[in-house]
Amino acid sequence: MIDAKILGATTFVYFAAFAFYLLRMASGRESWGRWGALTALAGLAAHTAALALRWVSSYQMGIGHAPLSNLYESLIFFSWSITAVYLFFERRMRDRSLGVLVLPAAFLFMAYASLSPHIDSRIQPLIPALQSNWLVSHVVTCFLGYAAFTVAFAAGLMMLVKGPAIQTGGKARPAGTAAREENGRNPGPRRERSVPARFMALIPAPAVLDDLIYQSVVLGFVFLAIGIMTGSIWAHHAWGSYWSWDPKETWSLVTWLVYAIMLHSRYIRGWRERPMAVMAVIGFICVLITYLGVNLLPGLHTYQ
Amino acid sequence: MAHKNPIRSFFASVKLAVVLLIAIAAASILGTLIPQQEAAGPFIARLGPGWSSFLMKIQVFDVFHSFWYAALMALLALNLIVCSLDLLPRTWRRYRRKDDPDRMERLADLPAARIVVTGRDREEAAKRATSLLEKIAGPVTRRERGERIFLHAHRGAYSHFGVPIIHAGVLIVMAGVMIGLFSGFEGYMTIPEGESTATVRLKSGRGERVLPFSVRCDRFVLEFYENGAPRTYRSDLTFLQNGREAQSAAVLVNHPVTFGGIRFYQSSYGTMPGGNPVLTVVQRERKVMEVEIAPEMAFVLPEHRATVRVLRVEDNLMDMGPAVKLGVTAPSGSRQFWVFAAIEQIVAANPGILEQVPLFDPASFAPYLFSLRAAERRPYTGLQAARDPGVPMVALGAAVLMAGLLVVYFRSHRRFWILLETADEGTRIGVVGRSSRDEAGMNRELDRLADAIGAEEEAGT
Ligand code: HEM
Repeated sequence: MIDAKILGATTFVYFAAFAFYLLRMASGRESWGRWGALTALAGLAAHTAALALRWVSSYQMGIGHAPLSNLYESLIFFSWSITAVYLFFERRMRDRSLGVLVLPAAFLFMAYASLSPHIDSRIQPLIPALQSNWLVSHVVTCFLGYAAFTVAFAAGLMMLVKGPAIQTGGKARPAGTAAREENGRNPGPRRERSVPARFMALIPAPAVLDDLIYQSVVLGFVFLAIGIMTGSIWAHHAWGSYWSWDPKETWSLVTWLVYAIMLHSRYIRGWRERPMAVMAVIGFICVLITYLGVNLLPGLHTYQ
Repeated sequence: MAHKNPIRSFFASVKLAVVLLIAIAAASILGTLIPQQEAAGPFIARLGPGWSSFLMKIQVFDVFHSFWYAALMALLALNLIVCSLDLLPRTWRRYRRKDDPDRMERLADLPAARIVVTGRDREEAAKRATSLLEKIAGPVTRRERGERIFLHAHRGAYSHFGVPIIHAGVLIVMAGVMIGLFSGFEGYMTIPEGESTATVRLKSGRGERVLPFSVRCDRFVLEFYENGAPRTYRSDLTFLQNGREAQSAAVLVNHPVTFGGIRFYQSSYGTMPGGNPVLTVVQRERKVMEVEIAPEMAFVLPEHRATVRVLRVEDNLMDMGPAVKLGVTAPSGSRQFWVFAAIEQIVAANPGILEQVPLFDPASFAPYLFSLRAAERRPYTGLQAARDPGVPMVALGAAVLMAGLLVVYFRSHRRFWILLETADEGTRIGVVGRSSRDEAGMNRELDRLADAIGAEEEAGT
């Protein structure tokens, strides 16, 4: 199983990327950040190759299907999505601070998939309920959404870590160039500061984090909407009704509503920064319950 | 929105929307934590009668079909409609608003303003700026005031409609769900191989529904992978209308079939006893009678003027397999006893059982010996039958909602102003823009526009 070997190696590559991002935060040197980004990208490339190989080998086994059919494969794909969506935002926002929180998530999901004794990593044939063209679009959109929410969660966590003391305050400030310039001046290596202080100083300005939270939540909100819709179409074909209030469906709706509440509060009530960070954390807890927590509740969706 | 009418402003408020969304989310969570519908049985049994009847009355065990969940949804719909009454005119005004080209003057001190200077004269620079602006934002309006030229253009004004479109999508989905609830149905059919039926058992014990046609299961096929996992469940069905075969089709998981506006889905399968068990009566090694039996039936053994009554028919009595309880009434007295299909195995496993439990002795009414042959089991298919006329509406609403989301989050109303005035070196040009969303993207676009206007070469234009 060459794909499993590559995935095992990818786990460590992600850990290395995390270490580089951590070094960047501790030393204040952007070169470590470049190493982190490069390593994460290399991990993502290997990860992609392994998924493709797994797909091909399922066809060689005569039970060809996309590698998205059980808990092991979903964890692996979740991790892939997290790295991919994070790197997208890293490029877009031109800021590498978040890697130190996001890469551990990618790493942990990989490690959980490979190490948990309860998770079967073999390629299994598709049971009849999963033999549908909607499987791929449903799973892919849901996990891209979850991954975007993971990035928002990391940004929210950073905002909360930085704490109110360094908050610049001020509501409804457009997060444009002004904020970015302010942040751009920060990463100068200041040797006299302690490591935690340097770490704090490298956390982007609240307005930048706020912008990042908003953009990633929007992306996740749209992807989750598509995911719920494709899931409904699939349910309509497989179970006879597009919605049956099974726990996974219900929790995905709850998650979507939490983010709808968040977006309304921001747009209309002018919530910025800390309340948004808190909502990003609450939303992510809902994501985790939707993904893993509902397996503890009875329902149609439970992963074996 | 502040309205004179306090009821209207209450229902138009976004505060109410947020409260309702929180309440709906909380109620939904409750519905996943408390066992619902059939699953609630054991839970209810553990509660005291007072509690359970109270909780049942407030529909805690069927949250998603409860009156209060419906009420929350209805309030949300009302909230959306009333709020749209305000939002639509507001959106229309934003869409129609005309900006003055020289509004630029007040914008020029914004941090986002880009200033470039070119060697061209003012008119030449204005021409170039007009053609560049036209390319990204359509028709350009121009105004000259004294020594200055103002240009203005905008694009994507329609994107203001994104939010009303999303809200309309939500309302259309809700309407579709209502149609399904009021004029659709959902239920199960169990059809043994070779038989047909027209009866659907409706979900959650809402009785039965007889279809205007019947469905015959010609065959049920179950296939396995090498590792033993199921590969295919398939029912070959024939739809019978007025006794004639109207259509044949195969239903698989993920491949439902529609007939007469009703969709049939593969949902379960199993085996059931096919027909009735057969009772054989032997007298001194000679078979004297063989009857297919059913509960309550009776027959006569002519020789001894005995009447045999079938008192009970069991599929599996005390884990010892199929059995019938007979009551024999004869002039010589009456007795009752059980006849097991698997009597030989039972005796072999429990030697002496017939002496200990005479009730199990099939030779209780000598000189006759009774024996039972269980009915053969035959496969049946379990289908789900559903009619939901609301589906097209729900699908339409979902598409509208999706379109609205894409408009809101990937489109924005971008307005551009350009000011040109003569300077010592040639012409000084200021570029300003406003975007309804995505300031960062707007800034990048303004940078590109300013660079292109300032470029001395005609390169690439
Ligand atoms: C499930 C229900 C709802 C969904 C999915 C939804 C969705 C949305 C979305 C995605 C936005 C854009 C927010 C942003 O800019 O990020 C929005 C804006 C808005 N929503 Fe809702 N909404 C819902 C219910 C409501 C309700 C019940 C109200 C009633 C008050 C409401 C009032 C508004 C208003 C006033 C805006 C801002 C419009 C503007 O000024 O441009 N929404 N909605």
